[in-house]
Amino acid sequence: MTVQSYYLPRSLAEATALLAEHGPSLLVMAGGTVVMPLINEGVSTPEKVMGLRRAGLSYLRREDGALVIGATTPLTRLLEPDVFPLLREAARHTATWSIRNMGTVGGNLFVPPPAGDLAVALLALDAQVRIVRAGGERTVPLSGFWTGFMQTVLAADELVAEIRVPEPAGRVAFRKFGRKQANTPAIVTLAVHLRMVGDRVADARLALGAVGPHPLRARQAEAALVGRPLDADTVAAVSELAAAECEPFTDAIASDWYRRRMVKVQLARLLTAMATEV
Amino acid sequence: MPATIVRFILNGRPTEVMVRPMMTLQTVLREVLGYTATKAGCKQGGCGSCTVLVNGEPMVSCLLPVEDVADQEVTTLEGLTPVEGLHPLQQAFFENFATQCGYCTPGMIMVAKALLDHNPHPDRQTIIEALAGNYCRCTGYEPIIRAVEDAARRLNGGRP
Ligand SMILES: Cc1cc2nc3c(=O)[nH]c(=O)nc-3n(C[C@H](O)[C@H](O)[C@H](O)COP(=O)(O)OP(=O)(O)OC[C@H]3O[C@@H](n4cnc5c(N)ncnc54)[C@H](O)[C@@H]3O)c2cc1C
Repeated sequence: MTVQSYYLPRSLAEATALLAEHGPSLLVMAGGTVVMPLINEGVSTPEKVMGLRRAGLSYLRREDGALVIGATTPLTRLLEPDVFPLLREAARHTATWSIRNMGTVGGNLFVPPPAGDLAVALLALDAQVRIVRAGGERTVPLSGFWTGFMQTVLAADELVAEIRVPEPAGRVAFRKFGRKQANTPAIVTLAVHLRMVGDRVADARLALGAVGPHPLRARQAEAALVGRPLDADTVAAVSELAAAECEPFTDAIASDWYRRRMVKVQLARLLTAMATEV
Repeated sequence: MPATIVRFILNGRPTEVMVRPMMTLQTVLREVLGYTATKAGCKQGGCGSCTVLVNGEPMVSCLLPVEDVADQEVTTLEGLTPVEGLHPLQQAFFENFATQCGYCTPGMIMVAKALLDHNPHPDRQTIIEALAGNYCRCTGYEPIIRAVEDAARRLNGGRP
């Protein structure tokens, strides 16, 4: 089977109308960097595809401090100087130049691990996802967006339209640990947002990627950080907890054992570096 | 089989093709138009040998439905090559032994072209990061990096 119809809607309204009309038989594609390899390989054989490149969802803007990102904004645009440094850093470590020019921010929320590096940074910044369907919309926190491996809260007639990222209000750090310096699948990806009061952690968000069915928050480790100074004992205990609570898997890149171990090592290094920040 | 007509600018020239839905730009270039400098490698976006410039930005043509580049400007290695002689990047690749089997060369040169257009004085690390999506399995990366440095010098009138 080859593709019989390729729709390129010119607006979000047109896109959601097409989705309402065709239902789940219409495959949604944004940058196509995940969808197209599967079609080329014959793994995916859709009859009808909707491309979102012309749907007017490629934009970046600031609203009351928050960064509002259209779902089909290419990853490359997150390297722009007015983007929050944590997101710039995450984008720089996501894929390669050509793929960043094609792959989208919204698409990064749907990719199977170990991919989804940018999504890890978005999770640490408590991003909100605006979901739209014909005749309605809702906003969900990214932390409640995933429901399982390659599963989200999205209904068949819904699209991700926009991602809203509140301005970071504390210390942030990002680290992608892979086998190579660049263009590498993650062994683990970490993004951290800490709000300090004095020398104590008042609020912590620890986001982990490539060590679970989707990017996840290390909730027990976060709870153990709150109220504590970032000293060596805390860092060791918290990293241990995060390693225990993540759900790593084995693939061609790394074993589950090694991934768990690297959560502990890399998180400890990241938090230690954050402790000396002023 | 439904067919669509797609118009885009190829190497400065208005071009029109009749295609099956979602035919890739790679297939259009190579099999419909006979522009074979753009290679067909992995078809997974992973090797970079099919890299072309769309509005001056590198993209892998194997993952790009040609409908998506309607009315856009596409540049391939053919578009870089002057009627007589070679483009400074081609000359630098040639003189620095940066091409052996040659399969990765068009993609390498297209990325290098975009890099030097954005940043005429890239340092070594910047060159390496820009080329990270382009695989070479025989020449080795050192001569390729040297060729880009050399091309930058040539294009900057001899200054690094
Ligand atoms: C060589 C290569 C290297 C890569 N390296 C990395 C890497 O290092 N890190 C990483 O995270 N990823 C990597 N990727 C994966 C991918 O490029 C990115 O994750 C990218 O952000 C995916 O976005 P896309 O728009 O191309 O997705 P698409 O292929 O267009 O879509 C992927 C899925 O998301 C759904 N979708 C997309 N947008 C929407 C929307 N707005 N609403 C509803 N559903 C939607 C589609 O239906 C589809 O199921 C790599 C890919 C390649 C080919």
